[in-house]
Amino acid sequence: MKAVINLKNVTCSFGSKQVLSGISLEIRHKEIFGMLGPSGAGKTTLINILTGQLPYGGEARIFDTECARIGHDVYRDIGAVLDKCGLYERLSCMDNMLLFARIHNVPRIAISDVINKVGLKGSERIKVGKFSKGMKQRLQLACAVLHKPKLLFLDEPTSGLDPSTAAEIHSLMRELRENGTTIFLTTHNMDEAYRMCDRVALLNEGIIAECGSPYEICRKYCTQSEFIIVTSDNEKISLPNSPESAGKAAELILGGKIRTIHSAEPDLGTVFLKLTGRKLTK
Amino acid sequence: MRTSLSILNKQFKDSLNNLPTLMIIMIYPIVAFIMIIAMRGEEFAGRMFISMFATMHCCFAPATTASNIISEEKEKGTLRSLIMSGVSRINYLVSISLFVILASMLTGSTFLLMDQFDCEYAFKFLSAMFLGAVTSTLLGLCIGINSKNTAAANGMAVPVGLTISLIPMLAQFNDGIAKVSKLLYSGRISLILGDGGNVSWDTAAVIGAYLVLFSVILVFLFKKKGLEQG
Repeated sequence: MKAVINLKNVTCSFGSKQVLSGISLEIRHKEIFGMLGPSGAGKTTLINILTGQLPYGGEARIFDTECARIGHDVYRDIGAVLDKCGLYERLSCMDNMLLFARIHNVPRIAISDVINKVGLKGSERIKVGKFSKGMKQRLQLACAVLHKPKLLFLDEPTSGLDPSTAAEIHSLMRELRENGTTIFLTTHNMDEAYRMCDRVALLNEGIIAECGSPYEICRKYCTQSEFIIVTSDNEKISLPNSPESAGKAAELILGGKIRTIHSAEPDLGTVFLKLTGRKLTK
Repeated sequence: MRTSLSILNKQFKDSLNNLPTLMIIMIYPIVAFIMIIAMRGEEFAGRMFISMFATMHCCFAPATTASNIISEEKEKGTLRSLIMSGVSRINYLVSISLFVILASMLTGSTFLLMDQFDCEYAFKFLSAMFLGAVTSTLLGLCIGINSKNTAAANGMAVPVGLTISLIPMLAQFNDGIAKVSKLLYSGRISLILGDGGNVSWDTAAVIGAYLVLFSVILVFLFKKKGLEQG
């Protein structure tokens, strides 16, 4: 199957500042792809290129259409929750949903289902201007997924949301993926990326430092040959991955003194730090 | 068609909740009504006030409303949301123009209730207002496309709209201004409204020239800047 998104040597600059340099990627059908990087790494710029909002160098294609030439027919297959996309604040939540439902020719009955899924039930008649930031973000997501898009762009979809709402959004993302939606997600939340994404790219200063499945990336950069035991006394013991440690571990197990055993793989944030010298969250 | 109706519906709802836009669309018919009531019995009152305020209404309201809607949608990102939902830019412009012209004509038609019009004059009166509204809407679209935000759009649309709509009124008191007024489409609309709805060839030519001029500028700006940039 052809890639949904295909980037070959994509570049972008604002004046003399090079924002993206030689980005090459293929994103497959039904994949949740995460673009990780700190603020200013070029994540939003890349989304703006992919959604036809910015000029670029190289080759960028969505559904085999050059991004610079995306027309309204391609947009019909796309959903997006972007920082620059707004809602009608003088209209109610339901009126906003109705507008996008009519544009996409989605029956009215589908609206309440999506509203429930994003946790906005009971707020349908409230004007969007009175919504909190989190509610607006959820409504944006509801408008973006109403027509079950083939490709969904999410720019920091859970930033500023409480953990339970973030979990609801994650569950909606999984459901969309199951129904055939490819998701392109930008985030600097490494836990979200690790749990949600099939593959991630680590973007630093406009260059992809690493790309692959989160698990594979973490394993690849696991240089410490050790494992960690947390005892029932909450004592952390690091043991080398060697035959000598087996005896010690067996002794602890037999003594009923082990609370948990952990591998010592680095997380995505640690890998990013190792590769770039920068923290993901900054 | 479905998309245009959705945008039209959205715009009516949004404007009903937007006091500044409502004011712009309704202010001249209200002022005309008050003036006519206040000066009832004066011989010159009725028709003169009606044609004067109808000219101001159909030249000022569409220009400022159209520019305001487009620039606000750009500023708040709703235009991008619409485009990302598959609304074509041209479809959007047509829908907003339709709204502006419809709203102006709906409120403008209340002028007919302020005096006794026979059917023929009423038709000519509304036709002249329609011409004014279409020309001003094109002007408003040009300003809206060219502006990054509402402050920039209003900074341009309000003075331009006021100048265009006030000159025909001032022309009634000054010969020099009257000559300038004849060069403006608003001046010509005022002449039609004040002259029983009759249109001379030179009046038709002036209004036609403005329609062509604003259309050419609109196409040029749209091709050069697109819709979202400003």
